Amino acid sequence: MGKRLLIRFFLIAIGLVLMNWTYKIFFYPKDLQEHSPEILEVWKQQRKADILYFAESSNMNVRDTDVVKKSISELTDDLLPKFKIGAINKPATHAGIYKEWIKNMRSPFPKAIIVTMNLRSFGADWRHSELESVLQAGVVMLKPYPVLANRFLLALNAFDNKTPELREQEMLREWEEVKFDFPFKVPHATVRLWDNAMANGSFLLPDGAWDMEKITLACHYVKSYAFQIRPDNPRLKDFDEIVSFCQQHKIKLIFNLLAENTEYAQQYVGKELVQIMRYNRNLLVRRYGNKRGVTLVDNLELLEGLDFSDQNWTTEHYGYDGRLRIAKQLAKTLHKSN
Amino acid sequence: MLFNSIEFLFFLPIVVFLYYLLPQRFRWLLIFASSCYFYMAFIPKYILVLFAIILIDYTAAIWMEKLQGKQRKQLLLLSLTANIGILAFFKYFGFANQTLIDFFALFGKEFKNYDLGIILPIGLSFHTFQSMSYTIEVYRGQQKAEKHLGYFANYVLFFPQMVAGPIERYATLGEELRKEQELHFENISAGFRLLLLGFVIKMLVADQLAPFVNEVYAAPTNHSQMQITLALIFFSFQIYADFFGYSLIAQGSARLLGIHIMDNFKTPYFAASIGEFWRRWHISLSTWFRDYLYIPLGGNRVGNWRWAFNTLFVFGVSGLWHGANWTFLVWGLLHGFFLILEKPLKPFANIISTFILVTIAWVFFRASDFTSAIQILKGLFIAHSEGPKWMDLWTPLSALGLLLLLDFSYRKQRFDLLLNRLPFIGRWSVYFVLIFALLAFSGTQKFTFIYFQF
Repeated sequence: MGKRLLIRFFLIAIGLVLMNWTYKIFFYPKDLQEHSPEILEVWKQQRKADILYFAESSNMNVRDTDVVKKSISELTDDLLPKFKIGAINKPATHAGIYKEWIKNMRSPFPKAIIVTMNLRSFGADWRHSELESVLQAGVVMLKPYPVLANRFLLALNAFDNKTPELREQEMLREWEEVKFDFPFKVPHATVRLWDNAMANGSFLLPDGAWDMEKITLACHYVKSYAFQIRPDNPRLKDFDEIVSFCQQHKIKLIFNLLAENTEYAQQYVGKELVQIMRYNRNLLVRRYGNKRGVTLVDNLELLEGLDFSDQNWTTEHYGYDGRLRIAKQLAKTLHKSN
Repeated sequence: MLFNSIEFLFFLPIVVFLYYLLPQRFRWLLIFASSCYFYMAFIPKYILVLFAIILIDYTAAIWMEKLQGKQRKQLLLLSLTANIGILAFFKYFGFANQTLIDFFALFGKEFKNYDLGIILPIGLSFHTFQSMSYTIEVYRGQQKAEKHLGYFANYVLFFPQMVAGPIERYATLGEELRKEQELHFENISAGFRLLLLGFVIKMLVADQLAPFVNEVYAAPTNHSQMQITLALIFFSFQIYADFFGYSLIAQGSARLLGIHIMDNFKTPYFAASIGEFWRRWHISLSTWFRDYLYIPLGGNRVGNWRWAFNTLFVFGVSGLWHGANWTFLVWGLLHGFFLILEKPLKPFANIISTFILVTIAWVFFRASDFTSAIQILKGLFIAHSEGPKWMDLWTPLSALGLLLLLDFSYRKQRFDLLLNRLPFIGRWSVYFVLIFALLAFSGTQKFTFIYFQF
C-alpha cells in the first residue's frame, strides 16, 4: 500500500506543479487585476518612475475649493525635476499593506521609496477597523507561495478575516483595558475613561445645552490619538520589515510621518493629548531616524488647524497649502540625500 | 471549525495520521479530543451543552435498560424533555418571546422583552436529534445501551458529522466507531475522492451561486423578473450544493478513518414527486421524522383526514426544526400541503412540476421575513424594476452546469464510485481537472455552510 500511496502523491505533486504553471500563464494576470490591482500599479509606476510614493488617502486632494488639485507626490515631483515620482494610493492602507506591495516590487528596484507613516495607523481605532479584512484580502495573492496556492488561500479566506463585530469588540476591549504608562501624567488611565469624561458635557452651548458637535469631535480625538506605541505594536513590525527589505536591496527609504491636527487636539482635548502624540512621534524618530538608508521626515506639527480639509473629523487630508508644505519637506530631504 | 478553512486542511490529516498510529484502545480518546477541539473552535463554552446532552442520554439509556413498563417510559420522557428543553431554550426562546410581544401588541398590550443574548450553539438541532434517536431505540429495545461513556460521547460528537449531520443511528455510527479500523488503501482513496467532490461542490458551485442569490434577496424590488426567477432557481441549487457538498466532505473525512457515513442525498431534483423528493433530500432527517414522529402518529395507516393532519404536523415540526422563524414553518407546511395535494394529482406530477414547487417553497426558507418572501414571489409576475444592467451570469451558470453534470451521472451511481471504475488515466485526468478547477476558480467570498445555523 505504501508504494501505491507514494506513486499517487508523486503524481499529485507533478500535477500541482503543472497546474501552477498553467494558472500562472493563463489565469493569474486576470486574478491579480481583480483581487490585487495595486500591485499592477506598482509595476507600472516602477517602469515609469525613479521614486515610488506609497500612501493612503492623505496623498490626494479632497477639498473641492482647492484650485490646484495636485497630490503631495505630484507636488514633490514638480519640485524635483531631476526625478520622476510615481504614486500608489489606496485609502485606509497602512504599513502592513505597503510592505506586501514593496516586497513584490520587480527588479530593477527604484532608487528610493517614500512610505507614508500615519500616526493614527498605530492606534486601536485603525488597527481594528472593519476595513482591515478587505485590505488583507487584497494582499493574499501576493504572499510568497506558489500563485495557485495563493488563489486557494483567498478562496478559503485564509487571512486576517474577522467580522466587523469582532473587530469592534477587540477595539473596545483595548480602549477599556489597556492602561497608559507614560513618563508624564495623563488625566485618565484608559481611552474609555477619557472618552467618558469628554462625553459628559465638556462643551456647552450658550443656552447651557451640550454642544454635541464639539463633544463628538473631542471624543474622536481621544479615540484616535490617545494610545501608546508599545514594542508589540504590529505596525512597528511592518515598518521594520520594510526597512530590512530596503536595506537588503539597497533602496533608499523615506518615511513620511504625516502632519496631524495638533492645534485642534490641544483645543478640544488638552495639551496632554498633544504630549502623547509627541511621545509616540519621538519613539518613531528614535527607532527609524538613525537606521542605515532610512530617513524620517517629521511633519507631525508642520501644519495649522485650518490646513486640514476635514475640520470636523480627524483625518490626514490636507488643503493645497498643507500638501505643498509637506511636498517641500520631502523634496528637501530627497534633494539632500542625492 | 469550518470544513472550508485552512485550519481544517491541517487538522484532518493530523487526526488521520494519529488515528492509525495509535492502538485501538486509545483511538476513542483521539476522536473525542479532536471532536471537542473541532467544536470548540466555534464558541468553546458551548461544549458544556453537548456534555450535558451526552450525560443525560447516556445515563437515561443505562437506567432504561434496567427498568420496565411505566418507569421506563417516564425515563424516556424525561430524557426527551431534557433534550427538547435544551434545544427549545437555545433555539426558540427568543422566537417565543418575540411572538408573545407581537401577539400582545395586537391588543395594545406590552409583553416584556427578555433579551438573554443567546447565540444558538452550532449544530444543536443535529446533536439533540441524533442523541434522542439513541434513547428512543434503547427504549424500544432495538438498541443495547452503551456502557462506555467515551464511545457514546463520540457518537454524539464525531467531528465530521457533528454540526450538520447526517443524523446517524447508533446501530450504524456507534458500531462503526467501536470497530477496529485498519489502514486500507481503499478507504484513503475513497475518502480523498469524496473530499475532492465535496469541496468542488461547495466551493465551486454553492459559493459561486451565492453572490447572485444574496444580491437579489437583499433587495428584491431592485431586480427584474428574470433576475428574480434566476435567483430562485440558483438558490435551489445553491442550498443543494452547499448541503450536499458538506455531506460529502463529512463522508470523506470519516472514510479516511475507515468509518462509513450514510448518503444524505440522492439527486433530489430528479424526483418526480414531492414524496420522492423527501426520499432523496436530507435523507437522515426525513427518516428520523418518519421513524420517530410520523409512524408513532399513525403514519398513513389512518383515515384521510388524520393522515393529512399527520403530514402537516410532521412537516410543520420539520420546518421549525430548521429555524425559529414563521417563514420556516410556512416552508414546512407548504411541503406538507404539496404532499397532501399530490395524492389525488399524482399522475400529473413530474420532475419539472416538483422542481417548481420545491423552488417556490425555498423562497420562505431563504427570505429573512414574510415581506421579502412576498416581494420575491410578486417579483416573479410583476416587474419591480428593470434591475441592474449587469449581473455576472457566466459564473453562476457555469457552476450550475458543473453541478448538473455531476448530478446527471449520480442518478445511476454515486459519482465517486463511477470515477473509481474509470481506467487509471481517465480517472486521474478527472481528478486533475477537478483539483485545478477547485484551486483556481473557487469563489473568493467565503460562505459558511447554510445548515450550520441549524
